[in-house]
Amino acid sequence: MRFHSRAVFIIYILGLLLVALFFLDLRLGSISITLGDMWGHLLGRNTLSEQELVILTKFRLPRVATALMAGAALPVCGLQMQTLFRNPLAGPYVLGISSGASFGAALVVLGAGATGIVATWSLAIAAWIGAGTVMLLLLFVSYRIKDVMTILILGIMFASGLAAIISIMQYFSQASALKSFVIWSMGSLGNVTGAQLTIMAWAILPLLLVTLAYSKVLNGLMLGEEYALTMGIRIQRTRLIIFATTSILAGTITAFCGPIGFIGIAVPHMARFLLNRSDHRILLPASMLTGMVVMLFSDIVSRLPGTEHILPINAVTSLIGIPVVIWLVIMNKKAQSL
Amino acid sequence: MSGTEEGHIISLDRFSIGFQKGKALLDSIRLSVNPGEMVALIGRNGTGKSTLLKSMIGLLTPLGGDCLLEGRPFGDYSLPERARRVSFVSSQLTQLPSLTVGELVGLGRMPHTGWMGRLTREDRDQIEQALSEVQMGVFMDRKLDCLSDGERQRAMIARAFAQDTPLMVLDEPTAFLDIPNTYDLIALLSRFRDRGRSIVYSTHDLETAMMCADKMWVIHEGRILEGAPEDLGLSGLFNDLFSSSGIRFDEIAGRFLYSRDRKGSIRLEGDREEALAWTRSSLERLGYGVDQSAPTTIQVESLPGRTQWILQEKGGSREFHNLYSLARFLIQKQ
Repeated sequence: MRFHSRAVFIIYILGLLLVALFFLDLRLGSISITLGDMWGHLLGRNTLSEQELVILTKFRLPRVATALMAGAALPVCGLQMQTLFRNPLAGPYVLGISSGASFGAALVVLGAGATGIVATWSLAIAAWIGAGTVMLLLLFVSYRIKDVMTILILGIMFASGLAAIISIMQYFSQASALKSFVIWSMGSLGNVTGAQLTIMAWAILPLLLVTLAYSKVLNGLMLGEEYALTMGIRIQRTRLIIFATTSILAGTITAFCGPIGFIGIAVPHMARFLLNRSDHRILLPASMLTGMVVMLFSDIVSRLPGTEHILPINAVTSLIGIPVVIWLVIMNKKAQSL
Repeated sequence: MSGTEEGHIISLDRFSIGFQKGKALLDSIRLSVNPGEMVALIGRNGTGKSTLLKSMIGLLTPLGGDCLLEGRPFGDYSLPERARRVSFVSSQLTQLPSLTVGELVGLGRMPHTGWMGRLTREDRDQIEQALSEVQMGVFMDRKLDCLSDGERQRAMIARAFAQDTPLMVLDEPTAFLDIPNTYDLIALLSRFRDRGRSIVYSTHDLETAMMCADKMWVIHEGRILEGAPEDLGLSGLFNDLFSSSGIRFDEIAGRFLYSRDRKGSIRLEGDREEALAWTRSSLERLGYGVDQSAPTTIQVESLPGRTQWILQEKGGSREFHNLYSLARFLIQKQ
């Protein structure tokens, strides 16, 4: 409402961090490309060799762009779910939407055993269908059952059921298929290449704009659906938009990067804590910004600078996100208020 | 019983509410609210107070009948149009987000702002006015979870006030409040009424409602009665309401008494009205009626700086320096 210098300061700091991590992430790798050379090349001085240019544009930039999109999209999913369900522990994982995507992926990888470009595309489509199916189920249920806690519990049940089916499928699948599924399920930002990146950008960027346009409505949902209705919010339409954007955003990221845990649930709380605000018109963009910073940081950590090893991104984000969730659960008093 | 003049802010006709067809909580209701009127909805728990309020403003689907808002069927209004005419305060206080008071009251401006919710100068003025109406101007930047129950409820009401609607509907706004806060809140609602808003609120508290409401809707035995508080009092309704609970409405005194078995009657003498009134109320609480022909007399004497009571019976007289010792004596005598 007023000029909140704290929020402005935090966003400024996050912005600086984002730029710094962006260039650091581009720089690090088996071949170190200095900032000065990158800058010189941008100014047209040809300071980069042919090989360095290929590494930058074909490998590192796509990976960083993927990290940025995942970092922006997943917290949006989490924040929207937390506000809609008025539950600080809601997120695409809890509601089973990511599990739906994983189930789709498992069908393709374990069942069909397709390889190459066909596999990539069918993987993506299967993950969308999986996420969308869980979303439709939840949407259908939410038309009948008004109680958001019931929907949350159903989401948890969907997720557990799908996880059980996936483990049965893993048990009966062949070793090679099992290995590729396990690798996919560890998550990776580095496997998204040219055409996939374009598809991903087309799916994610417009939807992020849609969610930004809905931030006023999200504010109205904070007091619950009764208040939202009496403040003129078309609740069914809003639910539909939140469910649709969440499942497409989460499904897309899961399809191309594998499951990336705890970013969706933890980052909105980090942003809330940093800004000390609950106004979605600032919290939503701040969550995107925080998410991008956290994803770039996780990517840098996962590459274990100075070594040849690469950690699964899902493990790194989980180790960053889980303390936040534990802190939330322990600070139960805080957890009851978004 | 409802008024026949035109221009009701809201009127219900053959309105039925409940959760199942054939099992209406209240059937074929006819009620109305005039502009600038404060209506108190009274009834026991589970008689359908919340259901009535919520059905009336579109939060629940009524079983049948018509609800006209400013003369037009309620269903004809779009949600944003409704939100500019009716604001609501729910009885639930749980799970509030960690907003500041200013942000919360700002939410009340939602129906009036554009798609990004930018607050104009006028919106800010409305927010500040709403906060000063509830005497919470200095709480602007305070977090909701740092407020007392009374302050939080006033902030919720400021949000509804900032919504700037001709009709405000409040579901048990005083349910969580202590007595001073309850009086504050009812006085606040009366001020809104004096500013021309129409108020409908539900409550258990008949006494505060009698003090301030222009009209009461009383749910009793599956029916709803409408009228000025005094009309309903005159009809003997209030005694029926509490007939099972040992509470009796004293029509002359205009208040509720806990009726004990009648223990006897006592004659009162004295010249200071105030002292007499309190003595009478003490005796009535103990089950004694005041009867000027009774054999026992209490003489209330006002001396400089104090009062004394002299009880005269057949057996002699006794002196008391306060009503408590007089009451102890009367109880022990039984």
